[in-house]
Amino acid sequence: MRLAEALLALFRVLVYIFLLAPIAVVVLASFNAGNFLTFPPQGLSLRWFVTFLQNDVFIDAIVYSAVLAALATAVSLVIGTMAALYYVRHAGKEAETVRVLLLLPLILPEILTAIALLFFFYQIGVGLEHRIALFTGHVLMTLPFVFLNVTTSLQGRDEACELAARSLGASRMTAFRRVTLPLIAPGLATGGVFAFIISFDTFGISFILKGTGSAPLPIQLYDYLRFNFTPEAAAVSTVSIIFTLAAVVVADRLFGRKG
Amino acid sequence: MTEVSLLSLVKSYGGAPALRGISLSVGHGQFVSLLGPSGCGKSTTLRCIAGFEEVTDGRILFDGKDISRKLPEKRDIGMVFQSYALFPHLTVAQNLAFGLEMRKVPKAQIAERVARTLDLVQLTPYAERYPKALSGGQQQRVALGRALVIEPAILLLDEPLANLDAKLRDEMRGFIRDLQKRVGITTIYVTHDQNEAMTMSDLVVVMFDGAIAQAGTPEEIYNTPSTEAVARFVGNANILDLPAANPGAGTIDLTLPGGASLTIPAPEKPAARLGIMARPEQIALTGAGQGHLGGRVTRRLFGGGYIDYEIATDFGVLAVQTPANVLADEGQAVGLLLDPARLWPVARDAAA
Amino acid sequence: MSRRRPLLLIAPAAALIFFFVMLPYINVLVMSLRMPGSEGKPFDPGFGFEAYAQFFTQDYYLSALPHTLWLGIITTAVCLLLGYPLALHIATASRRWRGILYGIVLSPLLVGIVIRSYGWTILLGNTGVINKTLKDLGIIVRPLKLMYNDFGVVLALAHVFLPFMVLPLLSSLQGIDPAIGQAARSLGASRLTVFRRVTFPVSMPGVQSGCILVFVLAISSYVTPALIGGMRVKTTTILVVDALIDQFLWPFGSAMAFVLALSAGLIVIAFAMLTRMKWK
Repeated sequence: MRLAEALLALFRVLVYIFLLAPIAVVVLASFNAGNFLTFPPQGLSLRWFVTFLQNDVFIDAIVYSAVLAALATAVSLVIGTMAALYYVRHAGKEAETVRVLLLLPLILPEILTAIALLFFFYQIGVGLEHRIALFTGHVLMTLPFVFLNVTTSLQGRDEACELAARSLGASRMTAFRRVTLPLIAPGLATGGVFAFIISFDTFGISFILKGTGSAPLPIQLYDYLRFNFTPEAAAVSTVSIIFTLAAVVVADRLFGRKG
Repeated sequence: MTEVSLLSLVKSYGGAPALRGISLSVGHGQFVSLLGPSGCGKSTTLRCIAGFEEVTDGRILFDGKDISRKLPEKRDIGMVFQSYALFPHLTVAQNLAFGLEMRKVPKAQIAERVARTLDLVQLTPYAERYPKALSGGQQQRVALGRALVIEPAILLLDEPLANLDAKLRDEMRGFIRDLQKRVGITTIYVTHDQNEAMTMSDLVVVMFDGAIAQAGTPEEIYNTPSTEAVARFVGNANILDLPAANPGAGTIDLTLPGGASLTIPAPEKPAARLGIMARPEQIALTGAGQGHLGGRVTRRLFGGGYIDYEIATDFGVLAVQTPANVLADEGQAVGLLLDPARLWPVARDAAA
Repeated sequence: MSRRRPLLLIAPAAALIFFFVMLPYINVLVMSLRMPGSEGKPFDPGFGFEAYAQFFTQDYYLSALPHTLWLGIITTAVCLLLGYPLALHIATASRRWRGILYGIVLSPLLVGIVIRSYGWTILLGNTGVINKTLKDLGIIVRPLKLMYNDFGVVLALAHVFLPFMVLPLLSSLQGIDPAIGQAARSLGASRLTVFRRVTFPVSMPGVQSGCILVFVLAISSYVTPALIGGMRVKTTTILVVDALIDQFLWPFGSAMAFVLALSAGLIVIAFAMLTRMKWK
């Protein structure tokens, strides 16, 4: 029994390593001083970060991705929170239908959704003009995450608080603004962070719908990696990972411990 | 102070009736309890008055004005919820100020009224605390203060004591009643606890199955319940099937086994089947062979100031409560003495 | 509060899903019934089952379907095998550790798919970390083939989708009252018996939803098999994208996508029925 437990513990450790390994290896590779991706690194250096910072293509891509993600997140937050409010507080028999509908973009294969959107936008004559298709795709991808998080945080809150506010003379809108919103702020923050990360990292939708001109970071990185093997890509990835972690940590510090 | 009238309130959820014609009038400054088991419609009635539920039919009048179509925030009510529903992100003082801010009361006045109300609910030292840092009883008083500070037309309380432990509940009962008298506000109180209803109310409204079974003073409800169900809900009740004679002449003659007879008042409404209610404390124990009925003690439970007996008789097992100094052993034969002035005829339940 | 259902709250989301998910998918379904195009046109006028017939008669495309489903099943099994011990571990871990372990499990989701695949390339390539280490240690002479094959694809897929297995497992395991296990042990059951007779059956809903989720995600993933498999692992999803985007075979690609969705649906239904019969 002791041996079995020890083996199980070892197995678990290996799985945890398995989960972290590909990420850790990218971060380590970015500090490589050599010209190629070698392991172990040929000395430590920040030279690839410098190279990356001087490369307009990647800087543009990061800015582009960040702006796209911020806009998609903002729209998703509004639409998703409204839907979550309806689902938790007002949907009667159709609650399950509402939930499935909102989760559809998550359940359906992303690449197929992207292609379906591509056809659709071409058939209604819009095509990939003005990045409308790309933006719509990003909102769709991020919507379920906002919905899920806000739903959870609404369900954890007593509806009586909203009713109490109404009984004290607050209109529906005021009750939402003054009572509900502060109470579900952590859920909104988590949902927003998730949405931002998903949009920042999503590949399929961007790959199919990006159109011409500048492209989001994952696409730029993908194109680069097809022909180059320098650790510059690792440096870009490391910066992207740090961005993501920072978003999570900031959201957690701001909202995670409250309420 | 406001008069509240409910005129044949009907509420149904997709065909299933939750309220079937509730009519009630509550006078200036009265304390009224809606009492009943869960699902009887008492909370639905309260939520209709508060405006959280739209009535299907009927009207709700405050001082003669129909408010049944008004939004909750326009009704001028103060409400205390079972969960208290304090705003966790606001301090005690901010919780109290909320309703005043909604009413656009000037800042200086808000501070003054909040301070006055905090004093009223004895929470002045806790003004800057968050609700989480308060005990259950304190949270309860914040909820009361928040509802009262806006000086509403009426006060609605939805099972406010259900989440407190027994000792605190007794304390809060007195506190709420005193507060209500001092402020003089018309109050509607929902509870499933007959003790709370009895001790606090001017008027008790017993509800079953979406309808009012009986409304009356606590004494009326306890001593002269209209049906067996009401009798049993508001306390322990023995219901005896005694042969009755001459119904309809204002009195009833009961024939007891052994030939003795008793005369008691007749019910106002004739019922298909009558039972005679005797409360446990209204039956006295006496020596075997004496009294109106004979029986044998099957169980004795010492309750401190009283003793609960179970006595097997020809009419089934009766509950009898006596002062603690009346002693009979389990198995002992005893006589039971009924007080004709306290016996009361009730309509038996269809199922009984 | 049932006063006037505020339909306005749900309207934007409903419109978004209807116009940009449901309509486009219906459009693809209609597309699969159009006539395959000639002379470089994506499709010809008229409707029929032409595209489906093409799919079922071309071995190159047809043979990818069972292979894709098989990869999905293997990935699911690997995720269950790796994920269950983790879920058990996290469910019983102390508060502080739980947060950290949770973070590790979720970490693949927080890092973009391109970066993740890049990491695997560094690890699994012919001159990658693993091969180099093994060579330096003298264990192997020639590099092991770890990527550009099914092995690498399954490994990378299991990595990405492990969170989707662990999270449902965790929520079903956390619902178990520890007192149940203690009660069972007080009645004389060994730890293994408690697991077999109590823990596992109770976690069955989690196993079920985790497996279904991972399977569906695995067979429909595109980027990971494309990057880790090179062009050497061909899955139906890769062929669908290829047909639709690169070759302009719109009806054909759409038909292929629906055959994949349909067969995946059948497997999921069969799995759900099988597991329910046994555990309910």
